Amino acid sequence: MKHPSKSPGRLLLAGLVAALPFGGMAAAQEITIVREVDSNNYDPQKSVARAAAEGLFMMGDTLVSLEPDMQTVSDGLAHKWDVSEDGRTYTFHLKDGVTFCDGKEMTAEDVVYSIKRWVDPETKSPVAWRAGDVKDVVALDDKTVEYQLEEPFSELLYQLTQSFGTIVDKDNVEALGEDFGISGFNGTGPYCWESWTPRDKLVMTRHEGYDWGPSFYDNDGAPHMAKITWQVVPEENTRTVALLTGQSQVTQYIPAIAIDQMDQAPSVEVQRSDEAFWTYFMGFKINKESVSDPVARAAMNLAVNQEALAEDLMFGKVEPAYSYVSQGALDWNEDLDDDLLRYDPERAKKMLDEAGWKVGEDGVREKDGIKLQPTAYVFAGSTWQKVSEFVQAELLKVGIDLEIQAFDATVAWGKLATQEFDVFGMSFPYVSSGDALNLYFRSENMPTPNRMNWDDEETDMLLDKGKTALDDETRADAYGEVLKKVHEAAVWLPLYHEPMFITHTAEMEPVVPHNNYGAGLYKGLDLKFKE
Amino acid sequence: MTIPADIENTPPRRQAWWRALMRDPSAAVSMIVLALFVLGAMLAPLIAPHDPFEGTRSVMQPPVWAERGDWTYILGTDGQGRDILSRLLYGTRLTLLIGLLSVGIGGFIGSLLGLLSAFYPRLSPFVMRFADVMLSFPAILLGLALVAIFGPGALPVIIALSIATVPDSARIARSIALSVMQQEYIEAGRAIGLSDTAVFTRYLVRNSISAIMIFMSLRFGQIILIGAALSFLGLGACPPAAELGMMASQGRDFILFAPHIAFIPSLTIFIIVLAANITGDALRDVLDPRMRS
Repeated sequence: MKHPSKSPGRLLLAGLVAALPFGGMAAAQEITIVREVDSNNYDPQKSVARAAAEGLFMMGDTLVSLEPDMQTVSDGLAHKWDVSEDGRTYTFHLKDGVTFCDGKEMTAEDVVYSIKRWVDPETKSPVAWRAGDVKDVVALDDKTVEYQLEEPFSELLYQLTQSFGTIVDKDNVEALGEDFGISGFNGTGPYCWESWTPRDKLVMTRHEGYDWGPSFYDNDGAPHMAKITWQVVPEENTRTVALLTGQSQVTQYIPAIAIDQMDQAPSVEVQRSDEAFWTYFMGFKINKESVSDPVARAAMNLAVNQEALAEDLMFGKVEPAYSYVSQGALDWNEDLDDDLLRYDPERAKKMLDEAGWKVGEDGVREKDGIKLQPTAYVFAGSTWQKVSEFVQAELLKVGIDLEIQAFDATVAWGKLATQEFDVFGMSFPYVSSGDALNLYFRSENMPTPNRMNWDDEETDMLLDKGKTALDDETRADAYGEVLKKVHEAAVWLPLYHEPMFITHTAEMEPVVPHNNYGAGLYKGLDLKFKE
Repeated sequence: MTIPADIENTPPRRQAWWRALMRDPSAAVSMIVLALFVLGAMLAPLIAPHDPFEGTRSVMQPPVWAERGDWTYILGTDGQGRDILSRLLYGTRLTLLIGLLSVGIGGFIGSLLGLLSAFYPRLSPFVMRFADVMLSFPAILLGLALVAIFGPGALPVIIALSIATVPDSARIARSIALSVMQQEYIEAGRAIGLSDTAVFTRYLVRNSISAIMIFMSLRFGQIILIGAALSFLGLGACPPAAELGMMASQGRDFILFAPHIAFIPSLTIFIIVLAANITGDALRDVLDPRMRS
């Protein structure tokens, strides 16, 4: 791979760095974080956007939290918890002295209210299943909560670290009604809601007196920053320049192309974490004619050179993916490691030939009057534009003509819930294999997020088994079995695993990248200017 | 009407305007540039040095004049490792095709409506009010609406741009035709008993056509610009097709590190539109009797 060593653009960047010393924000303890998109709202139980999680992790707290390694569950609002032997009852012991931003004390009743709101069908939470089959949530006393399940849920503690389990204030929810999480939010987090201008900025201020942060943070008191502004900057080059010129102090949204240059710039530092568990893939709607043949789907997997994609298009800043979840994720089935479909276009052609997919006059393969000409729906925007065009070109080399239709994010989710397309492009965060599998491969999750229409009784049975397992081995076996099934059926075309890169100005102490739901700054307790 | 005294010494009309055109250096250069682009676009499959759609592993190669550039990729490669020169040739082809078809289809329908409404004055209010309504729609908006209905692609863009060309050309054609209608030869034609069709085709159309063509040539540049803008917004040509506006849009992500990817197609659009406009202007100066001093 060749890169231009000295282009006018590089000089431009160097000029910017030289000309503009970073801003004098240090004294003020205020920072601006630039990001790509905003959320539709900041109601924890209702929004599934990563942008919502970014705000809510900082403005609210969850019962338990997740360490940067993405494996270890740590304390949150609860300082300790017990699990009954049958795995159906979790008892959480809450920390003392926790208050909401308005000064009111947080009690077990608030936890009960929040969890019940999450699973209440009236809330219409798209992620209610993540709370498990809740039988009841009871406050034993002011500081003790009993979480009762109908059946065991091996993922529960991981799920409770997600922003969906953020503890909310009943009075606040009722007072704001439909505007909850839009005009205000009263949480117990390290920062407090100040204002939100949709698609522009979310402003939050320090929660004075906060000292109940997770113990894995070095900072056991209130955050160092007095004020944080989350600024939406959709254009990636503008974000890069914002960092270099000190208009923004920290962000995880620097394009791959700029990471190396940022790393070399004296005014910025880049932190990387590989435990990000954020995977890009294309899924096949397996009951559609052009992608219903597992052989053809496997051939598509073989035809795409993920390594070239990662190296050339993403500048070596992502990991090529051959598995549907990161091979480092909890419960990954290591037996599959050797059987994953890796780049082999010759084998792809041979497989297609043998399966009867013959190259037609126009160079596109067909069989029984069906052309290998699937339609793909992807998100509009630079990432998917690049990725889908790359896949398109790779598939064309083996005689598969992928047609791409890109949609703006505002309509894409709706389009992706239809049965119109054959292939879809998606990226998603997960905490474990089970998390990913339960989300995408349950038959009850058709038509979305199970957009593949993967309707298999055995899968459902195994997922239930994994979900309700009482020990690690049973769970890993059940999920491993599902992983085997879906990989063998080639229902996805995995593309790459995206690590977490946090870029911040050199005036700040190094920031440890967290990865929970892709929110790299997590609770923001370690955001600090160098002294 | 005065008749030139010395008919013998006047060169044939066609030759005269051609010479006048070539005497204007900027027009001559513009026409040559335009001709080169058209030629390049037409011969794209023959002269393109690489496959314009097939990516390679040498991504973001700089053009030959930059440091580390080499002659394999004269204008460098884009973010997918595709040869920019080849894509440029194919892209110019599609861009010009979109422009020509839109101006051709829209101009034909519009002019016909305009001429008819001048010929049959009773039609006039309907056609002109329709044109007024259409004129209040910006072409970009129309394009957005059509793409929302039909999905992105070159065809919806051509339809949108054709529709957008109709009202303008109808108005221009009508105003030209109205002045032609007042000429004595029209009355003369009627007097000798020619049918409506004959007067319309032999007298009106033939005497209006050159002025209408001038308008079309001026319009051509604008249409190319709007077509490229729609493709830039991701509403025009679909990947992997190459289109100048789309190439500029794809290059935007690389602007800080490999500016040539966006710069080269943008410059090409600029040159084509400028050349088309200068040529159109010069044609008008030469052909329009009212502009002759």
